Amino acid sequence: MPLTEIALTPALWALLAGLGGLLAVDGVSMPQVMISRPIVSATIGGALLGDAAGGMLVGALLELLTMRHPPYGAAKYPDTGPAGLIAGCAYAASGTPSIAILVAAVLVGWMTGWMGAYTGYARRLVNGRLIGRPEWLAADPRRLERRHRSAIAIDALRGVVLTGGLLVPSVLIVSVVGVMPVGEVGTAFGSAAVVTALAASIGSGARTTAPDARAWAMVLLGALLVLAALWGRP
Amino acid sequence: MDFVRAWWRTFSVQGSWNYRTLVAPGVTYALLPLLRRIHEGDPDRLESSVLRHLDSFNTHPYLASLAVGALARLEHEGVSEDEISRFRVALRGPLGTLGDRTVWAEWRPFCLLIGITLFGLGLGALWSAGAFLVMYNVGHFWIRVWGFRCGWRQGRDVGKVLRAFPFERFTDRLWPVTMFLLGAATVLLGREVLATSGGAGSWLLLLIAGLVAIPAFRWPNQFGRLAVGLLLAIPVGWILLAIAGQGW
Repeated sequence: MPLTEIALTPALWALLAGLGGLLAVDGVSMPQVMISRPIVSATIGGALLGDAAGGMLVGALLELLTMRHPPYGAAKYPDTGPAGLIAGCAYAASGTPSIAILVAAVLVGWMTGWMGAYTGYARRLVNGRLIGRPEWLAADPRRLERRHRSAIAIDALRGVVLTGGLLVPSVLIVSVVGVMPVGEVGTAFGSAAVVTALAASIGSGARTTAPDARAWAMVLLGALLVLAALWGRP
Repeated sequence: MDFVRAWWRTFSVQGSWNYRTLVAPGVTYALLPLLRRIHEGDPDRLESSVLRHLDSFNTHPYLASLAVGALARLEHEGVSEDEISRFRVALRGPLGTLGDRTVWAEWRPFCLLIGITLFGLGLGALWSAGAFLVMYNVGHFWIRVWGFRCGWRQGRDVGKVLRAFPFERFTDRLWPVTMFLLGAATVLLGREVLATSGGAGSWLLLLIAGLVAIPAFRWPNQFGRLAVGLLLAIPVGWILLAIAGQGW
Protein backbone atom coordinates (compact mmCIF):
# COMPACT_ATOMS: atom_id res chain seq x y z
CA MET A 1 0.00 0.00 0.00
CA PRO A 2 1.47 3.42 -0.89
CA LEU A 3 2.33 5.51 2.14
CA THR A 4 -0.23 8.09 1.03
CA GLU A 5 -3.03 5.55 1.44
CA ILE A 6 -2.38 4.60 5.04
CA ALA A 7 -5.68 5.23 6.78
CA LEU A 8 -4.43 6.51 10.15
CA THR A 9 -6.55 9.59 10.68
CA PRO A 10 -6.03 11.91 13.68
CA ALA A 11 -9.27 10.65 15.20
CA LEU A 12 -8.15 7.03 14.84
CA TRP A 13 -4.72 7.92 16.23
CA ALA A 14 -6.36 9.50 19.30
CA LEU A 15 -8.59 6.45 19.77
CA LEU A 16 -5.60 4.13 19.53
CA ALA A 17 -3.56 6.25 21.95
CA GLY A 18 -6.43 6.10 24.45
CA LEU A 19 -6.74 2.36 23.92
CA GLY A 20 -3.02 2.06 24.54
CA GLY A 21 -3.57 3.70 27.91
CA LEU A 22 -6.27 1.18 28.82
CA LEU A 23 -4.12 -1.72 27.71
CA ALA A 24 -1.12 -0.45 29.68
CA VAL A 25 -3.27 -0.26 32.81
CA ASP A 26 -4.64 -3.77 32.29
CA GLY A 27 -1.10 -5.13 32.08
CA VAL A 28 -0.24 -4.41 35.72
CA SER A 29 -2.46 -1.92 37.54
CA MET A 30 -6.02 -3.13 36.96
CA PRO A 31 -7.99 -5.28 36.30
CA GLN A 32 -5.53 -7.68 34.61
CA VAL A 33 -8.15 -9.45 32.55
CA MET A 34 -5.45 -9.92 29.87
CA ILE A 35 -6.75 -7.66 27.12
CA SER A 36 -3.14 -6.49 27.28
CA ARG A 37 -1.83 -9.80 25.92
CA PRO A 38 -0.50 -9.49 22.36
CA ILE A 39 -2.97 -11.98 20.90
CA VAL A 40 -5.74 -9.61 22.01
CA SER A 41 -4.11 -6.18 21.71
CA ALA A 42 -2.52 -6.88 18.31
CA THR A 43 -5.78 -8.39 17.04
CA ILE A 44 -7.66 -5.27 18.14
CA GLY A 45 -5.04 -3.06 16.47
CA GLY A 46 -5.20 -5.08 13.30
CA ALA A 47 -9.01 -5.13 13.31
CA LEU A 48 -9.25 -1.35 13.69
CA LEU A 49 -7.09 -0.97 10.59
CA GLY A 50 -8.80 -3.67 8.58
CA ASP A 51 -6.81 -6.88 9.19
CA ALA A 52 -7.72 -8.71 12.37
CA ALA A 53 -6.12 -11.98 11.22
CA GLY A 54 -2.85 -10.21 10.44
CA GLY A 55 -2.92 -8.59 13.85
CA MET A 56 -3.48 -11.96 15.49
CA LEU A 57 -0.54 -13.48 13.60
CA VAL A 58 1.76 -10.70 14.77
CA GLY A 59 0.32 -11.00 18.28
CA ALA A 60 0.83 -14.75 18.39
CA LEU A 61 4.47 -14.40 17.35
CA LEU A 62 5.00 -11.66 19.94
CA GLU A 63 3.32 -13.87 22.52
CA LEU A 64 5.80 -16.66 21.91
CA LEU A 65 8.77 -14.28 21.82
CA THR A 66 7.81 -12.90 25.23
CA MET A 67 6.80 -16.21 26.80
CA ARG A 68 10.05 -16.54 28.71
CA HIS A 69 9.47 -13.24 30.51
CA PRO A 70 6.63 -13.91 32.97
CA PRO A 71 5.68 -11.07 35.37
CA TYR A 72 7.34 -12.49 38.48
CA GLY A 73 7.78 -10.00 41.27
CA ALA A 74 10.07 -7.07 40.51
CA ALA A 75 11.37 -8.49 37.22
CA LYS A 76 11.21 -6.34 34.12
CA TYR A 77 9.07 -7.80 31.35
CA PRO A 78 7.77 -6.47 28.05
CA ASP A 79 4.76 -4.14 28.22
CA THR A 80 2.73 -6.17 25.77
CA GLY A 81 -0.50 -4.14 25.71
CA PRO A 82 0.66 -1.02 23.83
CA ALA A 83 3.34 -3.09 22.03
CA GLY A 84 0.80 -5.53 20.59
CA LEU A 85 -1.58 -2.74 19.63
CA ILE A 86 1.17 -0.83 17.80
CA ALA A 87 2.50 -3.96 16.07
CA GLY A 88 -0.98 -5.05 14.96
CA CYS A 89 -1.77 -1.57 13.63
CA ALA A 90 1.57 -1.32 11.83
CA TYR A 91 1.08 -4.71 10.18
CA ALA A 92 -2.47 -3.98 9.07
CA ALA A 93 -1.71 -0.47 7.85
CA SER A 94 1.23 -1.48 5.71
CA GLY A 95 -0.44 -3.11 2.77
CA THR A 96 -0.34 -6.59 1.29
CA PRO A 97 1.04 -9.04 3.85
CA SER A 98 4.61 -10.10 3.25
CA ILE A 99 7.41 -11.63 5.25
CA ALA A 100 9.11 -8.22 5.32
CA ILE A 101 6.11 -6.52 6.89
CA LEU A 102 5.63 -9.39 9.32
CA VAL A 103 9.25 -9.24 10.50
CA ALA A 104 9.19 -5.45 10.77
CA ALA A 105 5.92 -5.47 12.72
CA VAL A 106 7.13 -8.15 15.15
CA LEU A 107 10.42 -6.31 15.69
CA VAL A 108 8.65 -3.01 16.23
CA GLY A 109 6.33 -4.69 18.73
CA TRP A 110 9.21 -6.35 20.57
CA MET A 111 11.16 -3.08 20.84
CA THR A 112 8.07 -1.17 21.95
CA GLY A 113 7.42 -3.81 24.58
CA TRP A 114 10.84 -3.33 26.12
CA MET A 115 10.57 0.45 25.97
CA GLY A 116 7.32 0.00 27.85
CA ALA A 117 9.11 -2.19 30.39
CA TYR A 118 11.55 0.58 31.20
CA THR A 119 8.82 3.21 31.44
CA GLY A 120 7.01 0.80 33.75
CA TYR A 121 10.14 0.59 35.91
CA ALA A 122 10.21 4.40 36.10
CA ARG A 123 6.54 4.41 37.06
CA ARG A 124 7.23 2.07 39.97
CA LEU A 125 9.89 4.47 41.21
CA VAL A 126 7.34 7.30 40.99
CA ASN A 127 4.90 5.14 42.95
CA GLY A 128 7.50 4.81 45.66
CA ARG A 129 7.48 8.59 46.09
CA LEU A 130 3.68 8.83 45.89
CA ILE A 131 3.17 6.26 48.63
CA GLY A 132 6.36 7.06 50.51
CA ARG A 133 4.98 8.55 53.75
CA PRO A 134 2.98 5.85 55.55
CA GLU A 135 2.33 7.84 58.75
CA TRP A 136 0.95 10.75 56.72
CA LEU A 137 -1.23 8.42 54.66
CA ALA A 138 -2.51 6.56 57.73
CA ALA A 139 -3.48 9.82 59.47
CA ASP A 140 -6.16 10.32 56.80
CA PRO A 141 -6.79 7.17 54.72
CA ARG A 142 -8.50 9.23 52.00
CA ARG A 143 -4.98 10.37 51.10
CA LEU A 144 -4.01 6.76 50.43
CA GLU A 145 -7.08 6.32 48.24
CA ARG A 146 -6.25 9.46 46.24
CA ARG A 147 -2.58 8.52 45.85
CA HIS A 148 -3.41 4.97 44.81
CA ARG A 149 -5.85 6.19 42.15
CA SER A 150 -3.30 8.78 41.00
CA ALA A 151 -0.76 6.01 40.52
CA ILE A 152 -3.22 4.18 38.24
CA ALA A 153 -3.89 7.39 36.33
CA ILE A 154 -0.15 7.86 35.83
CA ASP A 155 0.06 4.33 34.42
CA ALA A 156 -2.74 5.12 31.99
CA LEU A 157 -1.01 8.33 30.94
CA ARG A 158 2.20 6.38 30.41
CA GLY A 159 0.36 4.03 28.07
CA VAL A 160 -1.28 6.88 26.16
CA VAL A 161 2.04 8.70 25.66
CA LEU A 162 3.89 5.50 24.70
CA THR A 163 1.24 4.46 22.19
CA GLY A 164 0.58 7.93 20.82
CA GLY A 165 4.28 8.67 20.48
CA LEU A 166 5.34 5.40 18.87
CA LEU A 167 2.32 4.55 16.74
CA VAL A 168 2.96 6.79 13.75
CA PRO A 169 6.73 6.13 13.54
CA SER A 170 6.05 2.40 13.82
CA VAL A 171 3.46 2.43 11.05
CA LEU A 172 5.82 4.45 8.86
CA ILE A 173 8.79 2.14 9.49
CA VAL A 174 6.80 -0.99 8.73
CA SER A 175 5.21 0.62 5.67
CA VAL A 176 8.57 1.70 4.29
CA VAL A 177 9.88 -1.84 4.75
CA GLY A 178 6.72 -3.11 3.08
CA VAL A 179 7.20 -1.15 -0.14
CA MET A 180 10.72 -2.50 -0.60
CA PRO A 181 10.76 -5.54 -2.93
CA VAL A 182 11.96 -8.75 -1.35
CA GLY A 183 13.32 -11.26 -3.86
CA GLU A 184 12.81 -15.02 -3.72
CA VAL A 185 16.07 -15.67 -1.93
CA GLY A 186 15.33 -12.90 0.55
CA THR A 187 11.85 -14.28 1.18
CA ALA A 188 13.15 -17.79 1.73
CA PHE A 189 15.84 -16.47 4.05
CA GLY A 190 13.33 -14.37 5.96
CA SER A 191 10.87 -17.25 6.31
CA ALA A 192 13.57 -19.61 7.51
CA ALA A 193 14.83 -17.11 10.04
CA VAL A 194 11.35 -16.32 11.38
CA VAL A 195 10.40 -19.96 11.74
CA THR A 196 13.72 -20.75 13.43
CA ALA A 197 13.29 -17.75 15.75
CA LEU A 198 9.80 -19.06 16.54
CA ALA A 199 11.22 -22.47 17.40
CA ALA A 200 13.94 -20.95 19.59
CA SER A 201 11.30 -18.90 21.42
CA ILE A 202 9.15 -21.96 21.93
CA GLY A 203 11.99 -23.91 23.43
CA SER A 204 13.12 -21.16 25.77
CA GLY A 205 9.56 -20.18 26.67
CA ALA A 206 8.63 -23.75 27.51
CA ARG A 207 11.07 -23.66 30.41
CA THR A 208 8.75 -21.30 32.30
CA THR A 209 5.94 -23.83 32.11
CA ALA A 210 7.38 -27.32 32.08
CA PRO A 211 9.27 -28.84 34.99
CA ASP A 212 11.70 -30.98 33.04
CA ALA A 213 12.75 -32.57 29.77
CA ARG A 214 9.67 -34.81 29.65
CA ALA A 215 7.97 -31.74 28.26
CA TRP A 216 9.64 -32.46 24.95
CA ALA A 217 7.72 -35.64 24.45
CA MET A 218 4.49 -33.66 24.61
CA VAL A 219 5.76 -30.79 22.44
CA LEU A 220 6.91 -33.26 19.82
CA LEU A 221 3.65 -35.18 20.01
CA GLY A 222 1.61 -32.02 19.46
CA ALA A 223 3.80 -30.90 16.58
CA LEU A 224 3.86 -34.30 14.86
CA LEU A 225 0.10 -34.84 15.19
CA VAL A 226 -0.63 -31.47 13.60
CA LEU A 227 1.98 -32.05 10.90
CA ALA A 228 0.44 -35.42 10.11
CA ALA A 229 -3.04 -33.91 9.99
CA LEU A 230 -1.95 -31.10 7.68
CA TRP A 231 0.39 -33.10 5.44
CA GLY A 232 -0.48 -32.68 1.80
CA ARG A 233 -3.03 -29.94 2.43
CA PRO A 234 -2.36 -26.51 0.90
CA MET B 1 -21.65 -3.59 50.17
CA ASP B 2 -18.35 -3.06 52.00
CA PHE B 3 -17.39 -6.64 51.18
CA VAL B 4 -18.23 -6.10 47.53
CA ARG B 5 -16.31 -2.83 47.53
CA ALA B 6 -13.26 -4.44 49.11
CA TRP B 7 -13.38 -7.37 46.70
CA TRP B 8 -13.75 -5.05 43.72
CA ARG B 9 -10.77 -3.00 44.89
CA THR B 10 -8.56 -6.10 44.85
CA PHE B 11 -8.58 -5.78 41.07
CA SER B 12 -6.31 -2.76 41.43
CA VAL B 13 -3.91 -3.94 44.17
CA GLN B 14 -0.90 -3.46 41.90
CA GLY B 15 -1.87 0.09 40.95
CA SER B 16 0.63 1.63 43.34
CA TRP B 17 3.20 -1.19 43.34
CA ASN B 18 6.60 0.14 44.34
CA TYR B 19 10.02 -1.34 45.10
CA ARG B 20 9.90 -0.54 48.83
CA THR B 21 6.55 -1.74 50.12
CA LEU B 22 5.61 -3.79 47.03
CA VAL B 23 1.86 -4.38 46.93
CA ALA B 24 1.11 -3.22 50.49
CA PRO B 25 -0.49 0.13 49.54
CA GLY B 26 -2.84 -1.62 47.10
CA VAL B 27 -3.82 -4.27 49.64
CA THR B 28 -4.45 -1.56 52.24
CA TYR B 29 -6.53 0.36 49.70
CA ALA B 30 -8.66 -2.75 49.18
CA LEU B 31 -8.95 -3.34 52.94
CA LEU B 32 -10.10 0.22 53.68
CA PRO B 33 -13.88 -0.25 53.25
CA LEU B 34 -13.74 -3.14 55.75
CA LEU B 35 -11.29 -1.42 58.13
CA ARG B 36 -13.57 1.64 58.26
CA ARG B 37 -16.50 -0.62 59.17
CA ILE B 38 -14.54 -2.63 61.73
CA HIS B 39 -13.03 0.43 63.44
CA GLU B 40 -16.04 2.69 63.02
CA GLY B 41 -16.04 5.44 65.61
CA ASP B 42 -12.39 4.83 66.59
CA PRO B 43 -10.13 6.87 64.28
CA ASP B 44 -6.98 6.07 66.30
CA ARG B 45 -7.46 2.34 65.85
CA LEU B 46 -8.23 2.88 62.17
CA GLU B 47 -5.03 4.90 61.78
CA SER B 48 -2.85 2.29 63.51
CA SER B 49 -4.51 -0.46 61.47
CA VAL B 50 -3.84 1.35 58.18
CA LEU B 51 -0.24 2.02 59.23
CA ARG B 52 0.21 -1.65 60.08
CA HIS B 53 -0.96 -2.78 56.66
CA LEU B 54 1.19 -0.25 54.79
CA ASP B 55 4.23 -2.23 55.86
CA SER B 56 5.88 -4.20 53.06
CA PHE B 57 3.77 -7.06 51.71
CA ASN B 58 3.65 -9.17 48.58
CA THR B 59 1.14 -11.47 46.94
CA HIS B 60 0.10 -12.58 43.50
CA PRO B 61 -2.54 -10.02 42.39
CA TYR B 62 -5.28 -12.65 42.01
CA LEU B 63 -4.62 -14.07 45.49
CA ALA B 64 -4.69 -10.58 47.01
CA SER B 65 -8.41 -11.16 47.59
CA LEU B 66 -7.53 -14.08 49.88
CA ALA B 67 -5.08 -11.88 51.79
CA VAL B 68 -7.64 -9.07 52.08
CA GLY B 69 -10.35 -11.44 53.32
CA ALA B 70 -8.06 -13.07 55.89
CA LEU B 71 -6.54 -9.82 57.17
CA ALA B 72 -9.97 -8.22 57.47
CA ARG B 73 -11.11 -11.24 59.49
CA LEU B 74 -8.16 -10.91 61.87
CA GLU B 75 -8.89 -7.20 62.32
CA HIS B 76 -12.54 -8.00 62.97
CA GLU B 77 -11.58 -10.57 65.62
CA GLY B 78 -9.38 -8.02 67.39
CA VAL B 79 -6.22 -10.10 66.98
CA SER B 80 -3.09 -8.44 68.39
CA GLU B 81 -0.87 -6.25 66.24
CA ASP B 82 2.07 -8.66 66.62
CA GLU B 83 0.02 -11.63 65.53
CA ILE B 84 -1.29 -9.80 62.47
CA SER B 85 2.27 -8.82 61.55
CA ARG B 86 3.47 -12.42 61.91
CA PHE B 87 0.49 -13.61 59.85
CA ARG B 88 1.36 -11.14 57.08
CA VAL B 89 4.95 -12.32 56.98
CA ALA B 90 3.85 -15.98 56.87
CA LEU B 91 1.38 -15.35 54.08
CA ARG B 92 3.39 -13.32 51.61
CA GLY B 93 5.72 -16.06 50.39
CA PRO B 94 3.10 -18.76 49.66
CA LEU B 95 0.65 -16.35 48.04
CA GLY B 96 3.31 -15.05 45.68
CA THR B 97 4.72 -18.46 44.77
CA LEU B 98 1.38 -20.24 44.40
CA GLY B 99 0.00 -17.53 42.19
CA ASP B 100 3.09 -17.33 40.01
CA ARG B 101 3.24 -21.09 39.50
CA THR B 102 -0.46 -21.65 39.00
CA VAL B 103 -1.50 -18.57 37.01
CA TRP B 104 1.50 -17.04 35.24
CA ALA B 105 3.40 -20.27 34.59
CA GLU B 106 0.45 -22.58 33.82
CA TRP B 107 -3.06 -21.19 33.42
CA ARG B 108 -2.17 -18.19 31.29
CA PRO B 109 0.11 -20.02 28.81
CA PHE B 110 -2.46 -22.82 28.54
CA CYS B 111 -5.28 -20.41 27.67
CA LEU B 112 -3.06 -18.39 25.31
CA LEU B 113 -2.07 -21.52 23.42
CA ILE B 114 -5.73 -22.55 23.14
CA GLY B 115 -6.43 -19.20 21.53
CA ILE B 116 -3.46 -19.44 19.16
CA THR B 117 -4.29 -23.04 18.23
CA LEU B 118 -7.91 -22.14 17.48
CA PHE B 119 -6.69 -19.36 15.20
CA GLY B 120 -4.29 -21.72 13.48
CA LEU B 121 -7.10 -24.20 12.93
CA GLY B 122 -9.14 -21.58 11.11
CA LEU B 123 -11.30 -19.90 13.74
CA GLY B 124 -11.49 -16.15 13.11
CA ALA B 125 -8.96 -13.91 14.87
CA LEU B 126 -11.51 -12.05 16.96
CA TRP B 127 -13.25 -15.29 17.95
CA SER B 128 -9.93 -16.87 18.92
CA ALA B 129 -8.93 -13.87 21.01
CA GLY B 130 -12.39 -13.87 22.55
CA ALA B 131 -12.17 -17.58 23.36
CA PHE B 132 -8.87 -16.95 25.16
CA LEU B 133 -10.34 -14.06 27.17
CA VAL B 134 -13.46 -15.94 28.22
CA MET B 135 -11.63 -19.12 29.16
CA TYR B 136 -8.85 -17.32 31.02
CA ASN B 137 -11.17 -15.06 32.98
CA VAL B 138 -13.43 -17.87 34.12
CA GLY B 139 -10.40 -19.15 36.04
CA HIS B 140 -9.28 -15.65 36.98
CA PHE B 141 -12.59 -14.59 38.51
CA TRP B 142 -13.02 -17.93 40.21
CA ILE B 143 -9.69 -17.52 42.04
CA ARG B 144 -10.61 -14.03 43.19
CA VAL B 145 -14.06 -14.98 44.47
CA TRP B 146 -12.86 -18.22 46.09
CA GLY B 147 -9.87 -16.44 47.62
CA PHE B 148 -11.92 -13.66 49.20
CA ARG B 149 -14.51 -16.00 50.66
CA CYS B 150 -11.88 -18.46 51.86
CA GLY B 151 -9.81 -15.68 53.45
CA TRP B 152 -12.76 -14.19 55.32
CA ARG B 153 -14.14 -17.56 56.46
CA GLN B 154 -10.83 -19.12 57.52
CA GLY B 155 -8.99 -16.10 58.87
CA ARG B 156 -5.80 -17.27 60.59
CA ASP B 157 -6.47 -20.89 59.46
CA VAL B 158 -6.22 -19.94 55.81
CA GLY B 159 -2.77 -21.53 55.68
CA LYS B 160 -4.26 -24.97 56.26
CA VAL B 161 -6.67 -24.45 53.37
CA LEU B 162 -3.84 -23.33 51.09
CA ARG B 163 -1.76 -26.38 51.98
CA ALA B 164 -4.71 -28.71 51.35
CA PHE B 165 -5.78 -27.09 48.10
CA PRO B 166 -4.71 -29.15 45.06
CA PHE B 167 -2.68 -26.42 43.34
CA GLU B 168 0.15 -28.81 42.63
CA ARG B 169 -2.14 -31.51 41.25
CA PHE B 170 -3.66 -28.88 38.97
CA THR B 171 -0.29 -27.75 37.61
CA ASP B 172 0.95 -31.35 37.31
CA ARG B 173 -2.02 -32.19 35.09
CA LEU B 174 -1.96 -29.00 33.09
CA TRP B 175 1.64 -28.70 31.96
CA PRO B 176 1.65 -31.78 29.64
CA VAL B 177 -1.42 -30.42 27.85
CA THR B 178 0.22 -27.00 27.60
CA MET B 179 3.33 -28.56 26.08
CA PHE B 180 1.20 -30.50 23.59
CA LEU B 181 -0.53 -27.26 22.59
CA LEU B 182 2.86 -25.58 22.30
CA GLY B 183 3.96 -28.13 19.72
CA ALA B 184 0.68 -27.86 17.84
CA ALA B 185 0.65 -24.05 17.90
CA THR B 186 4.25 -23.92 16.67
CA VAL B 187 3.42 -25.90 13.55
CA LEU B 188 0.19 -23.99 12.90
CA LEU B 189 1.89 -20.62 13.34
CA GLY B 190 4.82 -21.74 11.22
CA ARG B 191 2.34 -22.61 8.47
CA GLU B 192 0.81 -19.12 8.70
CA VAL B 193 4.27 -17.55 8.48
CA LEU B 194 5.12 -19.62 5.41
CA ALA B 195 1.79 -18.64 3.85
CA THR B 196 2.68 -14.98 4.38
CA SER B 197 5.86 -15.51 2.43
CA GLY B 198 3.91 -17.05 -0.45
CA GLY B 199 4.85 -20.57 0.49
CA ALA B 200 8.60 -20.05 0.23
CA GLY B 201 9.90 -22.78 2.48
CA SER B 202 8.57 -26.22 3.26
CA TRP B 203 7.45 -28.67 5.89
CA LEU B 204 11.10 -29.72 6.02
CA LEU B 205 11.90 -26.22 7.20
CA LEU B 206 9.39 -26.62 10.00
CA LEU B 207 10.92 -29.93 11.04
CA ILE B 208 14.43 -28.46 11.04
CA ALA B 209 13.24 -25.48 13.05
CA GLY B 210 11.67 -27.92 15.47
CA LEU B 211 15.11 -29.39 16.11
CA VAL B 212 16.29 -25.94 17.15
CA ALA B 213 13.60 -25.86 19.82
CA ILE B 214 15.05 -28.87 21.65
CA PRO B 215 18.41 -27.35 22.71
CA ALA B 216 16.51 -24.10 23.35
CA PHE B 217 14.78 -25.84 26.23
CA ARG B 218 18.17 -26.68 27.75
CA TRP B 219 19.62 -23.18 27.23
CA PRO B 220 16.60 -20.85 27.34
CA ASN B 221 18.43 -17.57 27.84
CA GLN B 222 20.88 -18.16 25.01
CA PHE B 223 18.22 -19.34 22.58
CA GLY B 224 15.83 -16.60 23.62
CA ARG B 225 18.51 -14.11 22.60
CA LEU B 226 19.12 -16.12 19.43
CA ALA B 227 15.44 -15.77 18.53
CA VAL B 228 15.59 -12.00 18.76
CA GLY B 229 19.00 -11.95 17.09
CA LEU B 230 17.63 -13.89 14.13
CA LEU B 231 14.79 -11.41 13.70
CA LEU B 232 17.25 -8.52 13.83
CA ALA B 233 19.53 -10.30 11.38
CA ILE B 234 16.80 -10.60 8.74
CA PRO B 235 16.94 -6.96 7.58
CA VAL B 236 20.75 -7.14 7.61
CA GLY B 237 20.59 -10.28 5.49
CA TRP B 238 18.26 -8.59 3.05
CA ILE B 239 20.62 -5.66 2.69
CA LEU B 240 23.54 -8.01 2.04
CA LEU B 241 21.49 -9.88 -0.55
CA ALA B 242 20.63 -6.58 -2.23
CA ILE B 243 24.31 -5.69 -2.37
CA ALA B 244 25.06 -9.11 -3.82
CA GLY B 245 22.51 -8.39 -6.53
CA GLN B 246 19.83 -10.87 -5.39
CA GLY B 247 17.21 -8.20 -4.68
CA TRP B 248 16.07 -7.80 -1.05
